[in-house]
Amino acid sequence: MSHNHIVENLRKEIENFSAQIKAEKVGKVIEVFDGIAKVSGLSDIKSSEMVTFPNGETGVALNLEDDAVGVIILGDFSKIREGDEVKATGKILEIPVSDNIMGRVVNALGMPVDGKGVVKTDKTYPIEKVAPGVVTRQGVDQPVATGIKVIDAIIPIGRGQRELIIGDRQTGKTALAIDAILNQKGQNMICVYVSIGQKDSKLRKLQVRLEEGGAMNYTVIVSAGASETAALSYIAPYAGVSIAEYFMDQGKDVLIIYDDLSKHAVAYREISLLLRRPPGREAYPGDVFYLHSRLLERACRRNEKYGGGSITALPIIETQACDVSAYIPTNVISITDGQIFLETDLFYKGIRPAVNVGLSVSRVGSSAQIKAMKKVAGTLKLDLAQYRELEAFAQFGSDLDESTKKQLERGKRAVEVLKQPQYAPVKIENQVVVLYALVKGYMDTVPVEKIKEYEQGLIDYSESHAKDFYKEIAEKKMWSDKGEESLKKMIEDFTKSFNK
Amino acid sequence: MATISNNDIAQAIYLSSKDKSPHELSLVLKDVVNFLHRKRLLNKSKDILLKLNKIINQEKGVLMVKVSSAQKLHGHEKEEIEHLLKKRYHAHEILLEEHIDEKLFGGIRIEVEDEVIDLSLRNKINKLQEHLTRKV
Repeated sequence: MSHNHIVENLRKEIENFSAQIKAEKVGKVIEVFDGIAKVSGLSDIKSSEMVTFPNGETGVALNLEDDAVGVIILGDFSKIREGDEVKATGKILEIPVSDNIMGRVVNALGMPVDGKGVVKTDKTYPIEKVAPGVVTRQGVDQPVATGIKVIDAIIPIGRGQRELIIGDRQTGKTALAIDAILNQKGQNMICVYVSIGQKDSKLRKLQVRLEEGGAMNYTVIVSAGASETAALSYIAPYAGVSIAEYFMDQGKDVLIIYDDLSKHAVAYREISLLLRRPPGREAYPGDVFYLHSRLLERACRRNEKYGGGSITALPIIETQACDVSAYIPTNVISITDGQIFLETDLFYKGIRPAVNVGLSVSRVGSSAQIKAMKKVAGTLKLDLAQYRELEAFAQFGSDLDESTKKQLERGKRAVEVLKQPQYAPVKIENQVVVLYALVKGYMDTVPVEKIKEYEQGLIDYSESHAKDFYKEIAEKKMWSDKGEESLKKMIEDFTKSFNK
Repeated sequence: MATISNNDIAQAIYLSSKDKSPHELSLVLKDVVNFLHRKRLLNKSKDILLKLNKIINQEKGVLMVKVSSAQKLHGHEKEEIEHLLKKRYHAHEILLEEHIDEKLFGGIRIEVEDEVIDLSLRNKINKLQEHLTRKV
């Protein structure tokens, strides 16, 4: 670009510029500490209104008091000094959104942090929004295929549902969520992953993993890292759900993952204590329930009349020493439509994903399950429940009657089938075939240690030998009598050749 | 029990001393000082006085205005500003507090309580800078 061109451009810009000057409400910083500023003046300010500081940082007014306003500073507060002029903007905090945000990593204010340049945006969405009302909603009846056998079969998730993933550290909570994102390829789903207070190294690893799996094409990552201020951690999930709402407003289905809400509650506790709000149980402020309930209520399935689309939320909670009766876990359990319990003991026993099937529930998901899966999963649930009961009892004696022995053997195989390595989602049709073989007893003749081998073999075999059955499941979501016959024959053939 | 703010105390002082004869007023004020002493509020008297001043100004329709300009304002300019502000804020009387601030380069900057009307050249230049360096 020549010099003349630059000068010409600059001149044009300056000529087009007209300074819009109007009366502004201003205040003065009285004190500033730990990401909080106390500001005098700003008489007509609204709650959670955006304010600007002289160095360009923004803040949000949270505490409106008689003669001062408590502001949380979103960003670097080291350059803000006492006496600085603070301007009210008259706007509720909002973030820029557009389709260009897809595949990017943005911070809690919607600004890109992945070094791939600016995101061109044309719209802004407010961070806080009242959740869709009753008349705009519709029941959950479409499945979210996570590709994880134990979830799709026993704890199914529907589009628009809120399903909590809860467990101790290092039990595979994030892994479960990532697998769910990876499996959304070609499922007509947009994913938003909100990372709250996580290590940047973990996020980077995750981003690379998603890129390798081709999942970044339909995923947005909202990051509020551990090194950023609590204020950003506090608003990150709201920013994430605003992005999700932007896509839902286009009638699309969105899957949003909050990783994790325990750290979000801790960040909010920090802010609240600094703002001198009275502490309650576990030093959390009184409105910590509302903090999460208003966030998770924004997950919904909207009916066609109001534009359709859905937001499915998978919040994650990290417990300490399996204590699910702590304050935040109980709160979030009561808000969500079910939970997936992950246990350390199961994890170290080699049962991965370490889902405790007895304690995990999905309150609305079963209506979203496809019919074929419902059929096989019903028997599977029963098998597993009986196995758990007998397992403890069987440890005391070895002389068991034939039917008990049979149930134990079936249970062992069921547990084995539900094991699944990370990053290996299974298609729903394959899940149906494998679980059918299990619950109809075809696997009873296969030694337990060979189940994995059998399963993989069966999938490969059926993909080439049962194309009609696959088509039937994909189209009608259920098998016909004829289809079942051919499936039975196919499994019998394979089992015979496998056992040889 | 709700805490009593300095503003509440100032309001109370104003109401109790309103429309009083000089003799009554001196008695009331003595009581006020005693009250502040008893409640250990004398260290807050500066702020209370400030609030009291504000309340009296508000009741009488007096508006304190701070006007900053790069050069000294002429008489007719001041009159014009006063006239405009009286209309805008529905005030009976305007108390102008003038400041000379060369950093404004030109124009004036009017501050009324927490509202600012910045018509200075510096503000315009800042806005131009924001406009030119904005992210597209």
